[in-house]
Amino acid sequence: MTEYLTASSKEGTLEINVQNDWLFNNIPDLTEALDRIMPDQERNVVFKCGGLQEFDLSSAWLLYDKSLEFEELGLDTEFQGFRAAHFKFLQHIIDAAAVNEYIPGFFDRKPDPYWQKAIEKLGENTIEAVESAGYIAHAVLDGVKRPSRLLIGETIRQIHDTGVAAIPIVATVCFLMGIVMAYQSALQLEQFGANIFMVDLVANSIFREIGVLLAAIMVAGRSGSAFAAALGTMKLNEEVDALRVMGLNPNQILIIPRVLGLVIALPLLTLFANAAGLAGGAFIGATVLDINWLMFTERLAYTIDVNDVLVGLSKAPVFAFLIAVTGTLRGMQVNSSAEELGRLTTVAVVQSIFLIIVADALFTIIYSRLGF
Amino acid sequence: MTEKIISIRGLVNRFGTQTVHDQLDLEVRRDEILGVVGGSGSGKSVLLRSILGLHNPNAGSIEVLGQKIRYQKPGPHKDWGVLFQSGALLSGLTVQENVELPIALHSNMSLEIRRELAILKIFMTGLDMTAAGKYPSELSGGMRKRAGLARALALDPKILFLDEPTAGLDPIAATEFDELVSYLHDNLDLTIVMITHDVDTLFGICNRVAVLVNKSIIVDTLENIVANEDPWIQEYFGDPRAMRARKAMQDR
Repeated sequence: MTEYLTASSKEGTLEINVQNDWLFNNIPDLTEALDRIMPDQERNVVFKCGGLQEFDLSSAWLLYDKSLEFEELGLDTEFQGFRAAHFKFLQHIIDAAAVNEYIPGFFDRKPDPYWQKAIEKLGENTIEAVESAGYIAHAVLDGVKRPSRLLIGETIRQIHDTGVAAIPIVATVCFLMGIVMAYQSALQLEQFGANIFMVDLVANSIFREIGVLLAAIMVAGRSGSAFAAALGTMKLNEEVDALRVMGLNPNQILIIPRVLGLVIALPLLTLFANAAGLAGGAFIGATVLDINWLMFTERLAYTIDVNDVLVGLSKAPVFAFLIAVTGTLRGMQVNSSAEELGRLTTVAVVQSIFLIIVADALFTIIYSRLGF
Repeated sequence: MTEKIISIRGLVNRFGTQTVHDQLDLEVRRDEILGVVGGSGSGKSVLLRSILGLHNPNAGSIEVLGQKIRYQKPGPHKDWGVLFQSGALLSGLTVQENVELPIALHSNMSLEIRRELAILKIFMTGLDMTAAGKYPSELSGGMRKRAGLARALALDPKILFLDEPTAGLDPIAATEFDELVSYLHDNLDLTIVMITHDVDTLFGICNRVAVLVNKSIIVDTLENIVANEDPWIQEYFGDPRAMRARKAMQDR
């Protein structure tokens, strides 16, 4: 092992000879070597530069720190033969640090008790929730007040981006969901020889719940995140500020077209989702369960009336509103950093899916009470 | 008596317990190029954002061209142009469309004239047709600033705000940009307020300098500012680069 230090005592003076490479990479060994040194009765400590090959700032700091430690013990310390540059720079930093007042509790702060943190967090979150509600109301009202002349074009673009472009994926997912439901219900119904009721099960759940719910969740993942990320990036890029100084109200041209576009797009998307779900059910019926297309449609016409379709479709604008508002406003809340952008994009998606499910539960309760 | 383009009275800006501006007064005169300097955290950007109505000050009143500025409320949008530090071009639009946007917004002129005017502004800032069709992400930093300047000039504003126009540009591009700003100022009857760290810009083209120190502002001609005894000002203008720039100005 390389020796970094040799200590010798002579006439009440501890002589420490510093040698070899004092470099950043060797710091663990250096600290260990320094820790071993302890003066007994000596009153003076001399650090000598003998055989020192290389010396960098970090290890200079270690050595200097050690000398301060000795001085705190009431010893006199001295450096001999070192290049002045290292210590001069250190001294500069130390002087600057000394000028700044000691901040009480900066290093020795005790963590707050967990219950206090929990209460603080609860309060913060409550305030945040109230604030967001106010912000949402303000932005939407502000945007609606004086519609921008770019409104129609932007809205159509949003309908395309959030609705038309989402048709393939939403249709595929719903088709597969139709297959899954047809299979699962067939497995149970087969026991009673009541295969044909598969149509009732699939059609009712697709029209009333699954179609709109899947479409909304896919859109939340696709467009909710896109809204938050796009608006957040615009905020970070000062693009939102640029709009404002040009006399454009960002609420009007960024939020309203997205909300409006999605409110129009999602019900239409739901129609595609419903059709694809039924197709999935019919496909399984025809290929596996001996229910041909004709039987399927006959049973479908018998079990479904327009109410069932409307129940599903009526939820779509509400879900769309929740997704668009959450996404855009989370995006507008981005202020400072890329990290915040990522966090708020995640929040936008998670929160909009959460809100969709909560709203769906409310809808189901209300509709069943009303007897739809 | 010279006309006052911007007047700020008793501006106070606080962040938590930290006061950035304390009873700050500032007047910007017609036709001048005012350079705003200050250390980091001295509130240059906050001052600019307050003037533009993007920041809500704790107290004080700001008037631009006689119109009171209120937070996030419509201001004299047709009469000011702003170049943000990074250009802040809308990323979804080409340079041409970016420059056309304010024109489309504030006037009813025909599409053809709008196109031509936008191209004029783009040419004026030293860009060419190939740049006009590009998206901001396809441009270099210097070109983005020029495009941002073209957009700021789209409505022939009376006031131009520049936020660190030469930051991040190489010395040649920075000098060219300074020359461009100075040229535009001479020819377009513009009042320019610019935040800058570039001492060459400061000595090269600014008529007056506003220094943010001690939560307040000192505004004067360069010669008087350099003679000011405030320690920060002394350090700033005592810097070798500032000395060289000053000497260059005196030699001209």
